[in-house]
Amino acid sequence: MVNITINGKLVQAYEDEMLLTAIRRENIDIPALCHHEAVEPYGACRLCMVEITKDEWDGWKNHVTSCLYPVEEGLIVNTHTPTVIELRKTILDLFLAGSPRSTVIRKLAAEYGVTKTSYEEVPDGTDCILCGLCTRVCDKMGFSAISAVNRGHGKEIAPPLNEPPPDCVGCLSCAYICPTRYIKFTDDGKTRKIWGRKFKLLHCEKTGQPTITEEFARYLVKNRQIPEDYFKINDLSHRKELALKMGEITQWGREE
Amino acid sequence: MQISTPKQLKELQQKFQDKDNKLVKKIIVCHGPGCLASGAEKIFEEFQQVLSKKKIKGVTLEALKKTGCHGLCEKAPLVAIEPAGILYTRVKPRLVEDIIEKTVKNDEVIPELLYQDPETKKRVEKYRDIKFYSHQTRIALRNLGHINTADIEDFIRVGGYQAMAKAITKMTPERIIDEVTKSGLRGRGGGGFSTGRKWATCRKVKDDTHYVICNGDEGDPGAFMDRAIMEGDPHSVLEGMIIAAFAVGARSGYIYVREEYPLAVVNLQIAIEQAREYGLLGESIFGTDFSFDIQINRGAGAFVCGESSALMKSVAGEVGEPRAKYIRSVVKGLYDKPTVLNNVETFANVPVIIDRGAKWFTGIGAPKNSGTKAFSLVGKVRNTGLIEVPMGTSLREIIYDIGGGLIDGRPFKAVQTGGPSGGCLPDSLLDSPVDFDSLTKAGSMMGSGGMIVMDDRTCMVDVAKYFLSFLVSESCGKCNPCREGLYQLYKLAVKVSEGRAEEDDLEKMEKLSDMIIIGSLCGLGKSGPNPFLSTVRYFREEYLAHIKEKKCPAGVCRELIRFEINDKCDGCTACILACAYNAITGKKKEPHVINQDLCTHCGACVTVCTRNAIDVI
Amino acid sequence: MRSRLIVNPNLCTGCRTCELACSFTHSVAGKPGLSRIYPLDGGFKDLFVPVVCLQCEDPACARSCLVDAITRNPETGAMELDDKKCVRCQACVSACPFGCSLFDRVNNLVVKCDLCGGDPACAHFCPTKALEYKPIVPKALKSAG
Repeated sequence: MVNITINGKLVQAYEDEMLLTAIRRENIDIPALCHHEAVEPYGACRLCMVEITKDEWDGWKNHVTSCLYPVEEGLIVNTHTPTVIELRKTILDLFLAGSPRSTVIRKLAAEYGVTKTSYEEVPDGTDCILCGLCTRVCDKMGFSAISAVNRGHGKEIAPPLNEPPPDCVGCLSCAYICPTRYIKFTDDGKTRKIWGRKFKLLHCEKTGQPTITEEFARYLVKNRQIPEDYFKINDLSHRKELALKMGEITQWGREE
Repeated sequence: MQISTPKQLKELQQKFQDKDNKLVKKIIVCHGPGCLASGAEKIFEEFQQVLSKKKIKGVTLEALKKTGCHGLCEKAPLVAIEPAGILYTRVKPRLVEDIIEKTVKNDEVIPELLYQDPETKKRVEKYRDIKFYSHQTRIALRNLGHINTADIEDFIRVGGYQAMAKAITKMTPERIIDEVTKSGLRGRGGGGFSTGRKWATCRKVKDDTHYVICNGDEGDPGAFMDRAIMEGDPHSVLEGMIIAAFAVGARSGYIYVREEYPLAVVNLQIAIEQAREYGLLGESIFGTDFSFDIQINRGAGAFVCGESSALMKSVAGEVGEPRAKYIRSVVKGLYDKPTVLNNVETFANVPVIIDRGAKWFTGIGAPKNSGTKAFSLVGKVRNTGLIEVPMGTSLREIIYDIGGGLIDGRPFKAVQTGGPSGGCLPDSLLDSPVDFDSLTKAGSMMGSGGMIVMDDRTCMVDVAKYFLSFLVSESCGKCNPCREGLYQLYKLAVKVSEGRAEEDDLEKMEKLSDMIIIGSLCGLGKSGPNPFLSTVRYFREEYLAHIKEKKCPAGVCRELIRFEINDKCDGCTACILACAYNAITGKKKEPHVINQDLCTHCGACVTVCTRNAIDVI
Repeated sequence: MRSRLIVNPNLCTGCRTCELACSFTHSVAGKPGLSRIYPLDGGFKDLFVPVVCLQCEDPACARSCLVDAITRNPETGAMELDDKKCVRCQACVSACPFGCSLFDRVNNLVVKCDLCGGDPACAHFCPTKALEYKPIVPKALKSAG
């Protein structure tokens, strides 16, 4: 364990954990849009920046992204200094200029007192804030079906060559993890559509209820050694089956 | 030919020197980037042909040399005749026969080809008497203009690989690091971090693998120092890297060269193969248990890949995006292994330091800024080119003594140092020394060594706008302050230049700049607002003129200027023909008039007018 | 010694107290959550089987999780799903052969039994001891003792 001071309070943190984890454990609310426990920290949205210093730094202070900064013994952290708040305000103002219609951004910006961007609205701005969560989770899951293309202000998230991505299995993790709900998909119980690709859903042989996509099941069978017949029925039917099997064993016991 | 002892290397050097001493004359054709662009290859071929046709006693084809950049690119292509030390400028293929006939054969100088001093108008016969050269001290560029490009024999002849032999066979890694630390060598790529300390930290990290990387991703517009070294003297980069590898305990190294430098890749590749052939790269170098090899990686043209962590990602085959360096790359760099990354020029300095000692090196330059720095001097100076001066040399000395002052004797306005994210310094700072700390204090930076001189016809708002637009398009787009912040800063600069800005916009820009500096992830974003901040710091009135009076004093910003024909017009109709928008009317030999509604302020009329009859208001 | 959740269908009356207990223990934002346990029809008269996660030795749920959100709690032995890591792909829901990873549509959550961190509410509230949380005594020890 290491000892750190957060907003004047001495707390203990686990070695190797990031500052953000320690700060959130103290129930201090600091925003972060590109952070998710499922993937490695990235440091792109810069909202979780905090001020750090140490006694031996002779008054020198630094601003770091807490999601990426490993805790250190003796670290003195301030999460809401005027500069830090000003920084978050500016960043949210900039996000708002790029994604003026995003409810998530608008809500967060309003919390910091920004209701209207003070900058020029970006022409053709979208709700995508390029946090990279979708591509990172897709990489982490082993598909790497989508990635960031171009750079700078023209950067966007897209499947290769902007064609339906061959490596996508339609698991929807990207859509779920997207903080601004920008990634769109449809699912009518028969087919699922995302990134311009169509996926057939598997259905429970007993109830007819849809489960996951054929491609996803195939991937799990091949790469995670899940027996293929597990996917024939859905969870409810699995439970019913288990109840009947156990019921039968119990009944035998009774009869004996 | 495998060299296995330092003694063998010495013998080889002697052999190559003897061979060289037999040459009565040397004809050196510069093959630097500027000269190549002006047709140096044609001139070289012409020399080959003429030489093989004419039999001149003692002058064979071996006398002909293809060297790296001489530096005086303004006067390209260059040909030097040694040992007389004559430099011919702006040589044309048709003059080659003349040069051979007169100068090579009969030791006769051709005055028209000599360099003309812009002040005294006198022709300068000797190379070393040219002011451009006499104010320079060349360490990193020591071999450029003297040895054949990518030729290990020539390199060994001038003492190449001796420092490496000394380091590997006579010194311990700790002593090498100590020597480099004591020399005060600081990263020449712009960071200015102590090279010795970097190596020491890397060596201390316990790991089975260490890497050495050479950063040759020189992306600043107008900069070509590293290019000149990689193309003209690749072996000195290799030698520096080998010494570094021995010092930190690395077995493999990478040279990351930007895509736009194909010749650098070719020459480095030749040099690596030659070094392997001579046993200077590979297994058990000099019979020790030290093994090291180098591989070339080509960038794909992204400016941000010059940033160390983005570069390492690119080498590893990932997208070239920087990462936060709270855990430094000397500890966890390429493939998460401890990695030393230095710039081309830094590595080129290392062999000299090992050879001549830290004490000698600290004797050059300024306190805490020892040694020299190479710059590419460009813009509105008379002698544009590649230079190397001791640290602490004043800007005035560089611009006026070496650069020969401004073209047409126009007034100096500003000098931009440090590449796109550097800053513009005004004439009041001309006497300040050029070193890492002074430039940073002045609001600019050393950067990798670009130096752009601007005259009074340059609008500083326009300059800031240009560099911001460069940075906006070169930002990797990972973090918000750099991607969105610089974009908005650029948009505001456009607003100023178009006369749409209000006074509080300036304040807004300054505030935004502060936040971009604090908030950005890597050096590109953190230094991104510099073009704006330095120009607004020294040229605030110019910004205010755009905002309050809606005027561009330098007559550059199109939206704020007006072209008008004055009474000098003699009605030659040249401007009428040049105007693509039919905005100019008038009869022959009668004054012409510009229709302001149709004029787009392109300036084509000004360019063609021979009588200075068009005013920019 | 590690405890296990022991299910004895012979004692189950199908009263569904376990379901209530589970639902209230795992409430989401103050509202009862999706129960992880279900007393289901055992196929014979008056026979109910409380179906709940078996905390398998080689669990398909963890194997199918591509973001490593399901890990074993070394103290309780339960396969716990870290909601902060879960990306709702529902691979585990489909992969579990006993259907004991569930998707809570109301709250958009994937849930499974976590043995309540070592004090399962279902066993605690079961009026007939059809569910019991007790140390497992290995067979070898049993026969010896």
